[in-house]
Amino acid sequence: MAAVATCGSGVGTTGSAVATASKSNVTSFQRRGPRASGTNDSGPRLVSIAGTRPSVRNGQLLVSTGLPALDQLLGGGLAIGTVLLIEEDKYNIYSPLLFKCFLAEGIVNGHTLLVASAKEDPANILQELPAPLLDDNSKKEFDEDVYNHKTPESNIKMKIAWRYQLLPKMEIGPVSSRFGHYYDASKRIPQELIEASNWHGFFLPEKISSVLKVEPCSLTPGYIKLLQFIQNIIYEERFDGSNPQKKQRNVLRIGIQNLGSPLWGDDICCAENGSNSHSLTKFLYVLRGLLRTSLSACIITMPTHLIQNKAIIARVTNLSDIVIGLESFIGSERETNPLYKDYHGLIHIRQIPRLNNLICDESDVKDLAFKLKRKLFTIEVDFIS
Amino acid sequence: VTLSEGARAGIGRELGMLDSLLSLGGLVLLRDSVEWEGRSLLKALVKKSALCGEQVHILGCEVSEEEFREGFDSDINNRLVYHDFFRDPLNWSKTEEALPGGPLGALRAICKRTDPGPITIALDSLSWLLLHLPCTTLCQALHAVSHQDSCPGDSSPVGKVSVLGLLHEELHGPGPVGALTSLAQTEVTLGGTKGQASAHILCRRPRQRPTDQTQWFSILPDFSLDLQEGPSVESQPYSNPHIPPVDPTTHLTFNLHLSKKEREAKDSLILPFQFSSEKQQALLRPRPGQATSHIFYEPDVYDDLDQEDPDDDLDI
Repeated sequence: MAAVATCGSGVGTTGSAVATASKSNVTSFQRRGPRASGTNDSGPRLVSIAGTRPSVRNGQLLVSTGLPALDQLLGGGLAIGTVLLIEEDKYNIYSPLLFKCFLAEGIVNGHTLLVASAKEDPANILQELPAPLLDDNSKKEFDEDVYNHKTPESNIKMKIAWRYQLLPKMEIGPVSSRFGHYYDASKRIPQELIEASNWHGFFLPEKISSVLKVEPCSLTPGYIKLLQFIQNIIYEERFDGSNPQKKQRNVLRIGIQNLGSPLWGDDICCAENGSNSHSLTKFLYVLRGLLRTSLSACIITMPTHLIQNKAIIARVTNLSDIVIGLESFIGSERETNPLYKDYHGLIHIRQIPRLNNLICDESDVKDLAFKLKRKLFTIEVDFIS
Repeated sequence: VTLSEGARAGIGRELGMLDSLLSLGGLVLLRDSVEWEGRSLLKALVKKSALCGEQVHILGCEVSEEEFREGFDSDINNRLVYHDFFRDPLNWSKTEEALPGGPLGALRAICKRTDPGPITIALDSLSWLLLHLPCTTLCQALHAVSHQDSCPGDSSPVGKVSVLGLLHEELHGPGPVGALTSLAQTEVTLGGTKGQASAHILCRRPRQRPTDQTQWFSILPDFSLDLQEGPSVESQPYSNPHIPPVDPTTHLTFNLHLSKKEREAKDSLILPFQFSSEKQQALLRPRPGQATSHIFYEPDVYDDLDQEDPDDDLDI
């Protein structure tokens, strides 16, 4: 009892001292702002593009994936020049959401978008992007959401830890930083944001009208056209740095939906030893080459549950930089398992890259589950297994 | 989706999903097997859509035209547009009425039509097409056909297209079947027990959870659908029987619960570090301009407030 008393009085003194020091900041350390890189050669050439930040670990330039929780798991964000591969869930319900959050983040930050799909028209995909939560009204709704989710015991006035009563609750609300925004899955992005953005679409049925003969061991025509399209955009809009006089550099965000499905003309989902089973791996290799030499980041969703040859999945994993698998509980016996009743599925982080490093940025938690609440998609640590 | 289609789908949901299969549009996959054949269900659905006044096209590849038309009344037979690929699949007879481009060419020609209105295309069967055409080409053609109504480039208002495909799932490996089911909006798997046929219907709406239902039915000789209550009503075949939650606090050697008296005693316990509420509020409220720091000290019950220095007792 005496020990507690002395500890308490000690805390009392520092508490009031801190209270007098400054009202809003917890610490007196100040963050050094980024140096301005407006002029060409004065000072160090620090790239300051909207929506990017350098990684604190290895200095790579990172962009947000659209989900701040996912950014944290990947070590800060998606590095520019890398590929994020999402293995789709069985009924393709949650992977389009991650895809759209990535694109919406690009629109909010003013990046250029390139959307490629064989299933849906890219204009329709852009119409269905989620709306960003940017202002304080939405922050209030978000807090309400978090609050309702908590257990009722937290409402009791704290008796022992009463000093923490006035501290704000968990800092996971939408912050006004320029890296990583929260999105409302139930609302659509405002039309004016889409119109103000610069985007290119690639819809395969429009580009390929006739069935072409495919030689074995080469890329399918759909993939060739897509690679040529991407290369043209990178060259025309100077994402590869070929025109150094351009003042404001921007990032190209590429999104490819349902790569490897039969709609792209690839038969790895249909047969185990198809005639062009190397087409997808060649495509990924060439794509990564294009990405590494330009300021772009790419997200790809792939229906790996349909791929018949497991060796191809292993090759595809090796050829991508970050691989995330989504496993939804719909239709499986886990759906009715009471242990999983709060979640909609599991997230498996299958691979994280080692960029200019010897080790990769693994997070300590490996059991992650996701749930799609009424508005938000959250990723949480699953304490069950 | 217009209001009438939505209303029709709503009413259909009450009658059963089997009745409303065609109102959703898109690709409807009928998976049958040797024990539970699906051609009679296909013909029943064809008859239903013909009676609704829709245009019906049949791509007959597996059975002859006479066999397919058998059992239909003459007015239904007059409404069906039959494209025959059974008699001469490779077009060796080179007659004028042969359709160029094979079955896929016929599919594309049907879709290039200019008159609006809902249309139903029955593929008899998809298995035949899978065995004769590359799977990717077939998937691309089916996707183009079934998503035609959502194409924004067309100026003419094209009606809803439903494609009914009969698939014999025992003929194919998991690859093509998986590829086709990922394209399909609705998947009907035929099964049954003890002479009673059932259809397990899995409906995938875009961006929504798939809904499934098992419907027991029988087909009458004139190919009309008779929905029945089966021997066991299953609405969710994926759910396990509910396991009652086990209370982990039973059979413990110690007591985890508090009685009312114990709870009152706990609440009224004086904490060893007791502050009055005013001092608590004073500390919580940040005081601007407070230069000095205060020490608040309240004596504990065990504290000895003797002002003497205890070190005086030492003999040093």
